[in-house]
Amino acid sequence: MISITVNGKNYDCASPPTTPLLWVLRDELGLTGTKYGCGIEVCGACTVIVNGEAERSCDLELKEVAGRSITTIEGLSPDRSHPLQKAWIDLQVPQCGYCQSGMLMAAAALLKQNPNPTDADINGISNVCVCGTYQRIRAAIHQAAKG
Amino acid sequence: MNNTQHTDESFAASRRDVLLGGSSLVIAFTLGLSGREAAAAGVSTPIGAFIEITGANKVNVLVASNEMGQGIMTGLAQLVAEELMVDWPAVTAQQAPAGWAYANPLFGIQLTAGSSSIRGWFTPLRTAAATAREMLITAGAAALNVPRSSCVAAHGKIHVVATKRSVTYGQIVGDAAKVPPPSNPPLVSKFRLIGKSVPRVDIPAKTDGSAIYGIDVRLPGMLYACVKHCPTLGGTVASTPAKPAGAIAVVNLGNAVAVVANNTGVAKSLSEELSVHWTIPATSAQLDSALIQSKALQLLANGTPQIAEQFGTPDSALANSAARIDSTYSLPYLAHACMEPLNCTAVVTANSCKIWAPTQSPMLCVFTAQALTGLSPDKITVNPTFLGGGLGRKFEQDYIAQAIKVAQAVKAPVKLTWPREQDFTNDQYRPMAMVKVDAGVDSSGQIKAWIYRNVSPSILGQRNPNMTDIDTQATEGSDKLAYNFGSRRVEYVIHPAAVPVGFWRSVGHSINCFAVESAIDELALAAGQDPLAFRLKHLAGNARALAVLNAAAALGNWTVTPVAGHARGISFSDAFGSLAAQVVEISAPTATSIKVHNVACAIDCGMAVNPDQVEAQMQGGILHGLSAALWGQVTFAKGVVSPRNFNRYRVVRLPEMPQIKVQIVNSGGPLGGVGEPGVPPIAPAIANAYARLTGKRIRSLPFFPAQSVMSDG
Repeated sequence: MISITVNGKNYDCASPPTTPLLWVLRDELGLTGTKYGCGIEVCGACTVIVNGEAERSCDLELKEVAGRSITTIEGLSPDRSHPLQKAWIDLQVPQCGYCQSGMLMAAAALLKQNPNPTDADINGISNVCVCGTYQRIRAAIHQAAKG
Repeated sequence: MNNTQHTDESFAASRRDVLLGGSSLVIAFTLGLSGREAAAAGVSTPIGAFIEITGANKVNVLVASNEMGQGIMTGLAQLVAEELMVDWPAVTAQQAPAGWAYANPLFGIQLTAGSSSIRGWFTPLRTAAATAREMLITAGAAALNVPRSSCVAAHGKIHVVATKRSVTYGQIVGDAAKVPPPSNPPLVSKFRLIGKSVPRVDIPAKTDGSAIYGIDVRLPGMLYACVKHCPTLGGTVASTPAKPAGAIAVVNLGNAVAVVANNTGVAKSLSEELSVHWTIPATSAQLDSALIQSKALQLLANGTPQIAEQFGTPDSALANSAARIDSTYSLPYLAHACMEPLNCTAVVTANSCKIWAPTQSPMLCVFTAQALTGLSPDKITVNPTFLGGGLGRKFEQDYIAQAIKVAQAVKAPVKLTWPREQDFTNDQYRPMAMVKVDAGVDSSGQIKAWIYRNVSPSILGQRNPNMTDIDTQATEGSDKLAYNFGSRRVEYVIHPAAVPVGFWRSVGHSINCFAVESAIDELALAAGQDPLAFRLKHLAGNARALAVLNAAAALGNWTVTPVAGHARGISFSDAFGSLAAQVVEISAPTATSIKVHNVACAIDCGMAVNPDQVEAQMQGGILHGLSAALWGQVTFAKGVVSPRNFNRYRVVRLPEMPQIKVQIVNSGGPLGGVGEPGVPPIAPAIANAYARLTGKRIRSLPFFPAQSVMSDG
C-alpha cells in the first residue's frame, strides 16, 4: 500500500506501485475529473497539482508520489468558487469540456506562482484543446487574475 | 441551473417506457401519479417524450441530440423553454436515451451529425413543447375551476388573468399529461429565449470534474479493458494469446484483442506488452501512401468520372479563355483525434443489455446490441453520456460492439477503453483527395469555363459496395456552387484505396472548399483582380452571399493595407445550409512556419438560436481546420499507420492560436447548421494569404508536413 494525500484526504492505495497516478485517481479513488488524453505527457488532459506544481499524471507512477499532496479538479474548490471556475462559467469557456479539468489545474498552478500572468506567461500552458477554447481560456485567466 | 445525468437503472427503465409510445409527438404518460403525488415521491412527471416537470416546478428537457461540445443541450432546451413559457433558471437538460421518438426529423434516425440538430428540431420540438403548454393550460383551468379562455401560461404557472390566481406546472402536470393533445398548438411569435445567449446547461459541471463522459462511467463490480488491434490494417488474430499475469481475461475480438484487468492503467500496460500472433492478408500491403498517391495521379489523368454537374460547353470555353489556370490540389488522410478516446461500458445478461457510451447515435448502439445479443430492443438500454468530442467518429459502432463482446465474454460489467495509440491507428480517416481544376476567364475577368475533377475514396461507397449513385458526401462543396460560372463540369472519380474512411467534421466540404476557394483565388490573380471583388462579381444577385463576404471583409479590414510583412486571404463557403466567409491575416513565412494573427469570420445561419454558441462553434471549426491545414496528416506504410499519438499529430496550442472575431449575419433566411461550417474556409484563406505574401501558391496540405512533432509538456 502506498499512501498519498488527495484533496486533503489520505488514501492507502492498492494499485501496483508502477501504476500511473492518473489511473489510481480515476479507477481506484473514483476521481474521474482528471482525464486520460494521450498517456505520453503531451496533451495535458491529466494535469493535477503535486506539491504546488502542475504535473501530467499519466506518466507519474504511484510510487513517485508516495507521501505527496495532490490536488485534482475535484479539490480546486468545494463549490465552483475558485476565481478560475467563476471566470470559466462567466465566459462560457468549455465546449466538449474534456480538456478543461487539465486546463483549469494548469491555470491554477500558474496563478499561484504568478498572480498576474501576461499573454506570454499564459502561452506556457502547453495543454491541448481541439474544440478551440484557447481564446476564451486566455480571457478567463486574465479575468480571474483581476479578481 | 444544472445539467442532470442519470445512469441508474430505474431511470433508464422509465425512459424506455416513454419510448414505446412511438412518434415524436405522442404523449406517453407512464407513471400514473398526480403532480402532488409526484412531488411527494420526489419524481418528475413526463409530459410527452421531451419534457418532465417536477413537483418543485423544475422543467427537465430530454435532449435528443448528443452533447459533444456544440452546446446542443442548451440550444434544444431553449426551444422547449420558449414554447413552454418557463424561465431559463428553472430548466435542466439531460440526454435522451435511444428511441424513435428522438430520431432527428431531418434523417428519420437518432443521429447527431451533419450540423442538423437545430435545423431538424426547430419546429418539431417547439411544437411538442407548445402541445404540452396547451395541455397544461387545460389542466390548470380545470384545477382552478375557471374557463380555459381565462387562463394564460407564463413563468411556469397557469395564471387566471382577471383574478391573479395561479397554479404551478408542477401541481398539475399529472392531470395535464392525461389531457388529449391538441393538434395545432399556436407557436410563440415573439421570442424571449430563442436568439439569446443564455448560459449553457452543461458548463458548470465541466468546471469541477463532475461532468460524466463515457470514460468516467463506473458501475459496481466493473472490470476494465483495453484493446489492441493488429498493428497492420486488415490483420486478424491468428490465435488468442494466453492471459498474462495480472490480467483477468484476454478476449479475441477478431481484428483485436481486449485485455481485461481491475484497473485501466493495468489493462493498458498489459495490452501494450502483450505479444499477439496476427494473420496479415496480402492486401494490407496495398494500404500504402505512395501507392495511393500514384493511383490518384493516374485516376486524375485517366479515371472514369461520375458527373456531379454539367452546364454549357466548358471544354471549348476553356480553349477560348483569355487567362487559364490548371492547378492540382492534394489533401491528406486525417484522424479525428477526439480528446476523449473511444470507450464504451456494457453489461450483458441473458435478458438485458445495458450500454453507457459517448455516442453520436444511441439508436445505432441499440441495433449493434441487438445483432450481437439477439435481444429485442426493449431489453436494450443505451445511456448516452457527454462526448469528449465526436467530430464524426463517435457514431461508428466498432468500439460499441467490442465492449458488448467483452462484457458477454467475462459476464461482468466492463468499461472498454482504446489507448490513444489505438485511436489514432484504427480511425475511419478523412479521405485523401487529389483535385484538378482547369478554368479560365475572359478578357473582362469573368469565369467562362470551370472543369473540376476530384479523385477521392468514397465513404458511402466503401460502406455500400453496390452503390451506383454518386457519393454526395464526396461531391458536396464542389457542385451547386453559389458562383456564376459561364459553363462548368464537376466530376468525381472514386479512388479504390481500402483504407477505412469516415465522416470528419465538414466531410466533403473540408476537401472541396480548399480546392474551389484556392482556384477562385488563382483565377482572380490571373485576371488581375482583387480576390474579394472577384468573388462578389461572381456572386452578383446572391444577397446573402454578398452580405456574408462583405461582413467578413469589413471585420477583417480587407480594404486597409496590412502592415509590412503581413498579408490577408479571403474565402467563402456554402455548407450545411449556412454561408460563411473568413479573412485571415498572416506574416513571417519561413520554410517551417507562418504566424496566423487573426481570423475574421462572418456566418449566416439564418437565425442564431444562441449567438454565443454560434461564435464558439466558429472558433472551434476554425481551430480544427487550422491545425489540419498546418500540420495534419496520416500516412500508411504497407498497412501500418502513422502517427500513433499526439506527439506526431500536432494541433494548435495556446501560442499559435489566432485571435478570432465572429460576426453573425442574421439574414432571416432558412436555418443553417453551425457545427461544421467554420472548418472549410480556413485552409484556403491561409493559402490565399500565403500566395499574396510570398507569391507562392501552396496546393498541397498540410502546409508544413515535416513540422508535425508536438513536444511534451
